[in-house]
Amino acid sequence: MTAVALPWGQAPRRAVTERPADERGLVLAAQRGERAAFSELVRRHQRRAYVVARSIVINHEDAEDAVQDGFLHAFKAIDRFLPDQAFGAWLHRIVANAALDVTRRRKVRDADELPETVASPFRDPAEGGELRQRLTEALDTLPPRQRSVIVLHDVEGYKHAEIGKLLDIPEGTARSDLHYARSHLRQVLGAVRSGL
Amino acid sequence: MTDQEMTGPALVRDDEVTNHLRAIVAPPADDSYWAGLERRILARLERGQDEGRWWALSERAYQFGRLAAGLTLIVAGSVFLRERALERRMAYETVIESAAPTPQVFARRGLVPDRQATLRAVTDH
Repeated sequence: MTAVALPWGQAPRRAVTERPADERGLVLAAQRGERAAFSELVRRHQRRAYVVARSIVINHEDAEDAVQDGFLHAFKAIDRFLPDQAFGAWLHRIVANAALDVTRRRKVRDADELPETVASPFRDPAEGGELRQRLTEALDTLPPRQRSVIVLHDVEGYKHAEIGKLLDIPEGTARSDLHYARSHLRQVLGAVRSGL
Repeated sequence: MTDQEMTGPALVRDDEVTNHLRAIVAPPADDSYWAGLERRILARLERGQDEGRWWALSERAYQFGRLAAGLTLIVAGSVFLRERALERRMAYETVIESAAPTPQVFARRGLVPDRQATLRAVTDH
């Protein structure tokens, strides 16, 4: 598969169940303890893992933490991975769980902290305009699962079944989450749009 | 069921919103960021392995500790049993000694005369 550089630095979309021909060999080598093989798996999958994490957590730093946690868990559990399965799908599920853990930890931490000590959320330099600002805020108010479903589906092009597997929810739940997320964003942005 | 059926025409994907969402959640485009992230991930794996080795060492120490504790328990147990056996023996001997008939007993039983019994008692002490 030829890698195509996308304008927003996104990894080319590939079905999570798709597996490059030599990936099985890398997985087997990693299972034998070859560090270089696991490094290659990190290199290949870190962008997509970031996208999965970023769809669940609110900011860039948390997404990076979730990616690191996810790879660490995957490294520790690689012996239990069946090489004939798609490594990406397995890894993304681990990263999604790590991202949900990060979200839960952040919720507890934010509840314990005084408002003055709350860190400023990461602001993408590309952010600009009232609509995007309001969209960012509206996205933060969505429950994590709904947020991840709308990002994974509308932005990343995942199918409902893939999202269901990734987040460990029924396909129907992914559909209804998408519905509520779209509805919520539309409601919040309606006022901004009418004022623009 | 399709999205269209579930959400109705008003709640299908909004391209403008999607474009903004894409910009908000976009991964960094800079390759150096990814090289750095890869290094940080591998460094964490290395630290994780070191922690693993540390725990493995600790496991050996734990095994050694368990062995030492077992030996200590055996030694302490045998000392305790020996002490107890010694105490029992001493108690038994005390009982035997105190149960031995005194000269007065002999006298009361008429085995020896009173005077001889008194003399025996005095000379015995």
